[in-house]
Amino acid sequence: MTAVISQRSEVAAVFLIKRKIKMGKIRFFTAMAAAKLAYFGLRLLGRNATYLPGEIAVHICPDFIGYLTKPETVICVTGTNGKTTTSNLLNSVLTACGYDVLNNSLGSNVHGGIASALLSQSTFSGKPKKKLAVLEVDERSSLLVYKHLTPDFLIVNNIMRDSVKRNAHTEFISYILNTAVPAETKVILNADDIICASLVPQCKNRTYFGVDAEAPATAELPFVRDIVYCPVCGGGLKYDYVRFNHIGRCRCEKCGWGSPERDFTVTAIDRENNTFTVRHDGCDTVLRLVNDNIVNVFNCCGAFALLSRFGLSDETVKNAFEKLEIVKTRLETVKEKDVNITMLLAKGQNPVACTRCYAYAASDNAPNKCILLINDDKEDNIHNSENTCWLYDCDFSYFADESIAEVIFAGPRCKDTYLRALIAGVDPAKIKTCLDTRDGAKLVDFDKCKEIFVFYDNYRVDDAVAVKKTLIQRINGSNVKEK
Amino acid sequence: MTVEVLFRELCNLNADGQNSVYLRECMPDADFIETPIGGEPYFKDGRPDIIMMGHMSESTQRAVIKKLMPFKSRIEELIDAGTVFLMTGNACEVFCRHISYVTEKTETDALGIFPLDARCDLFDRYNGKQLSVFNGDIKLVGFKSQFSFLFGDNSQFAFAKCERGIGINRESVYEGMRKNNFLGTHLSGPILPLNPLFTEYVMHLAGHGGEAAFREAAMDAYRHHLKEFEDPEVRF
Repeated sequence: MTAVISQRSEVAAVFLIKRKIKMGKIRFFTAMAAAKLAYFGLRLLGRNATYLPGEIAVHICPDFIGYLTKPETVICVTGTNGKTTTSNLLNSVLTACGYDVLNNSLGSNVHGGIASALLSQSTFSGKPKKKLAVLEVDERSSLLVYKHLTPDFLIVNNIMRDSVKRNAHTEFISYILNTAVPAETKVILNADDIICASLVPQCKNRTYFGVDAEAPATAELPFVRDIVYCPVCGGGLKYDYVRFNHIGRCRCEKCGWGSPERDFTVTAIDRENNTFTVRHDGCDTVLRLVNDNIVNVFNCCGAFALLSRFGLSDETVKNAFEKLEIVKTRLETVKEKDVNITMLLAKGQNPVACTRCYAYAASDNAPNKCILLINDDKEDNIHNSENTCWLYDCDFSYFADESIAEVIFAGPRCKDTYLRALIAGVDPAKIKTCLDTRDGAKLVDFDKCKEIFVFYDNYRVDDAVAVKKTLIQRINGSNVKEK
Repeated sequence: MTVEVLFRELCNLNADGQNSVYLRECMPDADFIETPIGGEPYFKDGRPDIIMMGHMSESTQRAVIKKLMPFKSRIEELIDAGTVFLMTGNACEVFCRHISYVTEKTETDALGIFPLDARCDLFDRYNGKQLSVFNGDIKLVGFKSQFSFLFGDNSQFAFAKCERGIGINRESVYEGMRKNNFLGTHLSGPILPLNPLFTEYVMHLAGHGGEAAFREAAMDAYRHHLKEFEDPEVRF
């Protein structure tokens, strides 16, 4: 009798599993049909279709990505700062080397965006049209994405405090990544970021990169650091040096835990000849310096390490680096008559990224610089009032530097930014403010300043373009048409 | 005038650490003591006029509770004696009864000074604004970004009453807790520079007669926020 019941249970279980699989497949094909329809519809309307189709797909079939056959090799890029730059570098090098790369460089890096990127390059049955994928993945989406997709390689640039609203704190992001990343993934981690270097202990195939060149002589600790004590024993961390935030080399005074040895190290940066040198396995490779901001040296070194682990020769990567550029929407320098305008994307709500930009401007050798800040969040200021906490994690004291003659805060949060700057010790006499984001361009004093730095949020690209246009018009003496 | 800032090296999330920076500007004659988590609190034997602590991670919160538990009766003594406490973000939970961390599947007893319990869920983040009335006549503007909510009836000892936004949880209009000069609120970030009138109230509570630093700029920004927060078109 018991045996009969057991047999019946087994049959029922098999039936249920089969039914579940069948239902899952039906859901998947429904999702694929709806998403493809949305994709082609949006493309017809001239849109990129980089988010909505995928969002529709995962809404109908939450494990949609799981049903897709993945490209032979999947490279993922994550971390707080530098994801897009690193993804673009990887895409450019791999494309230059003849690979046909599936990527999400034009679109969203969250769950729906990843699904969109994959489905746009898949057949209706879910087979991939390309053999290689480079996907930028938002850290917070990791749980949803890696549940159904095992990256062959994952590079994590760094883990720092980011948007208070979305990312909370670094322990939360570390928790997500440690839970989500599959153990078989080969990880490329920033050795000079102790939080990043300690991530995903389940992944045993680990490569560390970092920058030894131009290490600061002192270990002056900045106010904002995201790790202060040893997570193993609670002892104090002793730094050999700190570049910014917690980026540097440190060791626990009590138990010895600390920064790992690097496998790929930038040993020299030659700013005169625009090159940097990466050492690994005893070999030095001199590459073109795509951008001299130290954060981009880290990004380039990480990309080099990943491409090397992927199997490209140093020579091949070196040749590809010769042609690389950082995309213009992120960094562009324009010379108009005797005025230089540097347009630099400074991700709003992200205090470390913004502070790096401010430090970059302050360290520029030119005198009488003008800083024009259009960092306010666009969406959060439409029938809303942006959370301004992040301004207080930004280091505005860079604007107190005497080489900066003028600071302009343009946008709905200009009054908050003004107060923040005063608290940081910036001379009120050199600050101007305006509530209209685009009006900032009208306030620049070209008699005083010939070096203009415009920092803009990634959702303010349109405003940045308009500001640049106005600046150029004013330099050329044209009248600026009032809105 | 002595201000003790507790564990600022850790309790500085959401830029909470900047409240003490601003207060230094407001009271340049005051002594500021920053006690690290490994150090002995100044309040153990000393009598600070203001004790501050800001928002922290969940693991830090557990460490802070462990650290402060032996000083529970001293803290109660200081509260009764009228010392000003300014506990922002989830620092206020440290003084409640119990905290359960549902994601991490752990829980801890807190100091138990207020009959409220916290529930922390890493996958239920709340972001919002709050317009509230403090002490009957000071309008507060502020922001919340948190994983946790408090439960219990705080209507008789609330820090402020909300006009817009939520109180200690999504159903509550009562914000935080107050006992004598103990001020606890989930509002986090630069609550002092955002609210110069509140800052001056805190200073006066502690016996300092000065005014908020950069008052004109702070009031200008405050009025602008207030106008936005009172605008029915602005989403909460």
